[in-house]
Amino acid sequence: MLSKPRSSKLLLGLYGLLVAGLPLAGLCYALLGSLGLVGPLAAGFTGRYWRALGTDTGLLQAALFSLWVAGASLALAGGLALALVLGAQATLRRRPLPTLLYVPLLMPALVMGFYLFQLLSGAGWLSRLSFGLGLTPGVEGFPELVQDAAGVGIIMAHVLLLFPFFTLLFQAIYQESRLADYYQLAQTLGARPGQFRWRVAVPVLLRRAAPTLLLSGIATLGAYDIPLLLGRPYPQMLSVYIATRLQRFDLRELPAAYLAGFLVAVGLLGLILVLTRLTRRHAL
Amino acid sequence: MLLTVSHLSKAFGDQPVLRDISCGLAAGQVLAVLGRSGGGKTTLLKILAGLETPDAGAVLLEGHDLLPVPPNERQMVYLYQEPLLFPHLTVFENVAFGLRIRRVAKAETTQRVREMLAELDLGAHAQKGPHQLSGGQRQRVSFGRALIIRPRLLLLDEPFGNLDAQTRADMQQLFLRVSRQHQITSLFVTHDSREALTVGTHFGYLDQGTLTSFPSVREFIQDPRTSIAAELAFWESVQQTGH
Repeated sequence: MLSKPRSSKLLLGLYGLLVAGLPLAGLCYALLGSLGLVGPLAAGFTGRYWRALGTDTGLLQAALFSLWVAGASLALAGGLALALVLGAQATLRRRPLPTLLYVPLLMPALVMGFYLFQLLSGAGWLSRLSFGLGLTPGVEGFPELVQDAAGVGIIMAHVLLLFPFFTLLFQAIYQESRLADYYQLAQTLGARPGQFRWRVAVPVLLRRAAPTLLLSGIATLGAYDIPLLLGRPYPQMLSVYIATRLQRFDLRELPAAYLAGFLVAVGLLGLILVLTRLTRRHAL
Repeated sequence: MLLTVSHLSKAFGDQPVLRDISCGLAAGQVLAVLGRSGGGKTTLLKILAGLETPDAGAVLLEGHDLLPVPPNERQMVYLYQEPLLFPHLTVFENVAFGLRIRRVAKAETTQRVREMLAELDLGAHAQKGPHQLSGGQRQRVSFGRALIIRPRLLLLDEPFGNLDAQTRADMQQLFLRVSRQHQITSLFVTHDSREALTVGTHFGYLDQGTLTSFPSVREFIQDPRTSIAAELAFWESVQQTGH
């Protein structure tokens, strides 16, 4: 039998291995693979995959596209949730809205993507409805809302998934921070409702919710199911870009995929570090 | 009269909270209203602040009907039991809040806030966050934030209820000093008879929605509902037993 401190040390070690050791090992493997040192066709150290980064802009474009999708989804979902929490408090406290907000949260991302594809694609329900009403002459007349260059479909799906979650989060913070009492106090100090919202409510809600917003942004940045279904081959989001390269039949492509995976992981870790410091500095 | 309240009534559902309340307050007076919890004190203050609407009655400020005026235009600050400092703002910005929303010039705001902080002995804490202050300091910031907009009427809802005995006594003295200095007119509700006697210039007793105004401090003390006479008798008996 192991003694208590020894068993807790063992447990801690196993946990550390699981949450930090294995991902770090994966990261090291990807780095070594990108240098031609490991992998099925490894032939010794080479820097050519790193040098190829200078000519292949695919990774950079996937990163920029992912940042755009994550930023736009977060801003739209956050904006909608803030508007609802600050503009419809009475409705939010009455049933059935609070219960209805949980419904999209029960939906897997893939189901949401499939639903939006059925709804918004060229041959989808809305397109057929608009054709039936004589608003569009055919499939080509309906605007591209899924598998489009700007990622509208992907953004819409993420907004639909994030917005109810943010609304519930902001509503919980609103009540816990006693913003209703602050509203009355601010009014007697001379503030109009708009001044209260911008000078008190929005800063308090955003600062308290910042860590969760940050994690949601990172999750959107690395999302796979929705961009796979609603995105197009170019531009691709990072996860799809890396997965496509890893799954190619040509094994000589693997080091480039390892390199992309390594850079994305390091980039995301750096981003999390910077944003976490920023949110901590302004935390309430 | 600065403030005239006549025949004010309010009920929540079928539960009457205020019943035919009438009182008046001249400029510079402090009306201390004593009463137990659930007696209607908070509702009365909220109606005066414009945060609740009465079912019947009138509220006049310098002869003008106050009821149609929205709370942000009444220039009447409602102070809660808790200081409710804005958590994302420093002490300086908390006090400056009322001036910022009125778009007072930057230089004037800075000067007035600095003077107010100095007066409340908070100058050294200007750049601190609310979480870095003690309970008494927070309540002083809350006072400063209210006083800086030069309110026509200060509505205080047991503002020192959460403080320890010593800080509470200090705050009462500070309130007296500042109130006299700035000629502040206030309605101060409390459940503590000693506090009422310390801060008030005029006295009332509110219970089960009915307000009794007393013409003098003597009658306030002698009314059995305030329990002040009974308390005095108790301390006298303790003193006599001691001798």
